[in-house]
Amino acid sequence: MLTIKGLRASVAGREILTGLDLDVGPGEVHAIMGPNGSGKSTLSYVLAGRDGYEVTGGEVRFDGDDLLDLDPEERAQRGLFLAFQYPVELPGVNNTYFLKAALNAIRTARGEAALDSVSFMRLMKERLKVLHLDETLLKRDVNAGFSGGEKKRNEIFQMAMLEPRLAILDETDSGLDIDALRLVADGVNALRSPERSMIVVTHYQRLLDYIQPDHVHVLAKGRIIRSGGKELAMELEEKGYGWITGEEAA
Amino acid sequence: MNAQPLGQFEDWLPGGGAIDLPGADLDWLATARQRALASARALGVPTARHEAWRYTSLKGLIEQAFTPYGAAAPGARPDDLEAHLIAGLDSHRVVLVDGRFAPGLSDLGDLPAGLRIAGLGQLLSQDPDALQGRLTGVAGTGAHLFAALNTVAMRDGLVVLVEPGVRLARPIELIHLAVGTERPGVAQPRTLIALGEGAEATLVERFVGTDEARCCTNLVGEVALGRAATLGHYRVQTEGAQTFHISALHIALESQSRYRGLNVGLGAAWARTDLVARFAGEGAECDLSGLYLAGDRQLIDFHLDVDHAVPGCASRERFKGVLHGKGRAVFDGRVLVARDAQQSDAEMVNNNLLLSANAEIDTKPQLEIYADDVKCSHGTTVGQIEPETLFYLRARGIPAIEARRMLCLAFAEEILADLRPLGPLHGHVAELVGARLERVAFD
Ligand SMILES: Nc1ncnc2c1ncn2[C@@H]1O[C@H](COP(=O)(O)OP(=O)(O)OP(=O)(O)O)[C@@H](O)[C@H]1O
Ligand SMILES: [Mg+2]
Repeated sequence: MLTIKGLRASVAGREILTGLDLDVGPGEVHAIMGPNGSGKSTLSYVLAGRDGYEVTGGEVRFDGDDLLDLDPEERAQRGLFLAFQYPVELPGVNNTYFLKAALNAIRTARGEAALDSVSFMRLMKERLKVLHLDETLLKRDVNAGFSGGEKKRNEIFQMAMLEPRLAILDETDSGLDIDALRLVADGVNALRSPERSMIVVTHYQRLLDYIQPDHVHVLAKGRIIRSGGKELAMELEEKGYGWITGEEAA
Repeated sequence: MNAQPLGQFEDWLPGGGAIDLPGADLDWLATARQRALASARALGVPTARHEAWRYTSLKGLIEQAFTPYGAAAPGARPDDLEAHLIAGLDSHRVVLVDGRFAPGLSDLGDLPAGLRIAGLGQLLSQDPDALQGRLTGVAGTGAHLFAALNTVAMRDGLVVLVEPGVRLARPIELIHLAVGTERPGVAQPRTLIALGEGAEATLVERFVGTDEARCCTNLVGEVALGRAATLGHYRVQTEGAQTFHISALHIALESQSRYRGLNVGLGAAWARTDLVARFAGEGAECDLSGLYLAGDRQLIDFHLDVDHAVPGCASRERFKGVLHGKGRAVFDGRVLVARDAQQSDAEMVNNNLLLSANAEIDTKPQLEIYADDVKCSHGTTVGQIEPETLFYLRARGIPAIEARRMLCLAFAEEILADLRPLGPLHGHVAELVGARLERVAFD
């Protein structure tokens, strides 16, 4: 589904991704861990198509197509979703209105009919229930004045509404209390399906207790330097990154 | 004092026929008109050397050579009005056509006790005592030359008098309909809104017209709020593309009174609005907010002048602008806190969104504070849509152009939200703003 080969990218003239390889198959969940500043968010942004990230080498294929050639909205319309590490506040933009615009833009781009208000409301209420979220969320402006945890939950709600085929969760667990972590993880698990792949960026092994990944990768200095199964996360939790990055240097 | 020639604007004065002005036989009004004329001659025609007109050239206005409409009643048909009505807005409706009260188009049935609504010309001839001490009482000779000219030449307009303690359930809606004649004409309507002690009212004031009409509105409004009175005043200017708009609104606030004014400037080729508020008693609040959108061949200018003459009052000014194409706007907000006006609370914000490199905004907040125990702040921003914000919407599948529109609407909505209690009016204005943004070529 997603194939990244030798990806290099610079921000403000500085190379952050230094030849990154990653293969994500349909239905797989990949966890990416790595020290602060290693390039995890940069990878997320490059995949989502944010301006200011210059790709200087390598390639990214999404269902065989050149992903890097597409505008951010086209990527979203094809089923890519990024849950932001720092979700943006949109005062004046109502959550319901926003989600309807997004969902219908995606549906229209795919040649599907736009959802009418009644079906849309029904879908929203159903997804809120699955995620144990309060209906007041629908009346609020997107992330405006939300607590850190509320923003993260709203990202997951958006994901549940837009039903992406590839979701990238950039530290969605950071800033969540224990109960919220549980709810978010349950929500993510409810969305797991053989057609839906996920890349979960996290610093904490705990999330991976709830969301069982198929693969765990360590990203350091802009590259994947170690890949393994779930046990790799536990080893990292115990020994820290020095264990691998040190080994790398040696 | 030097009497200055008024050039083109000599024509705006009533000529030899001044006798036919309503109220010509009233001494107090004759005195007020004479004072205003002297003030007009002393002020002369403003130029770019006058600070208050530095960014607002009169060149176009002078070139149009507008002349006043005569004494004859205007000829608007119900059809002319129909297109401008807002479905579902339940109001006591008054229509002024080219500045003249049009009873036939107005809807003044079922006025509750304690509310008087009348045409100014009518009241001047039938019950001038109701006006003495009130008309020109708030505005004085006026904010500028044009306000003074209005006082000299006014013949009609609207008077709203609300008795003490009366709280109106329905809003009053004043529609200024510009129809125009073959010859470019200037209407000089006058409004007087006076609320007695503890009275409460809502006034929706709309300026409408067609793109074909070549005309000018030169309005002076006076608002007098008695002790603890409350007025919500929602003004929406959507005049046609060839219209010139001048309006000066003067507000006097007695103690504990509240004025909440919202000004939307969308239309006209050239629009200048002065909002002048003066606190006359302690514990009063004045809230002025506004939204303006200016595009190609359009200038929108707001001048605010808030005078904290007495202690313990609060004023808040919140104006936002969206400039596109070659649009230009001016925001000049002045707040004066007198030496004795301790415990004053004044806050002024002006935020602008520039959607093109050719658009221009001149913004000038001025706080003049002579008291020491006060809470005052001001902030101005001029910016573009944040790339990070735009990316967030696009990352959700929303195409870039639509995303920009949504963000502009959201920017505007922070002001327009105050219209929500007025239901259909909010929908109407939000739709107009949305339709305008539909036509904006982003980048
Ligand atoms: N706009 C920018 N300008 C300059 N440097 C940047 C910019 N964006 C990112 N960087 C730098 O790129 C490097 C990688 O940042 P990135 O946000 O991808 O790290 P991360 O792995 O997500 O870290 P964290 O775990 O703290 O979220 C950092 O050194 C960061 O300072
Ligand atoms: Mg990060």
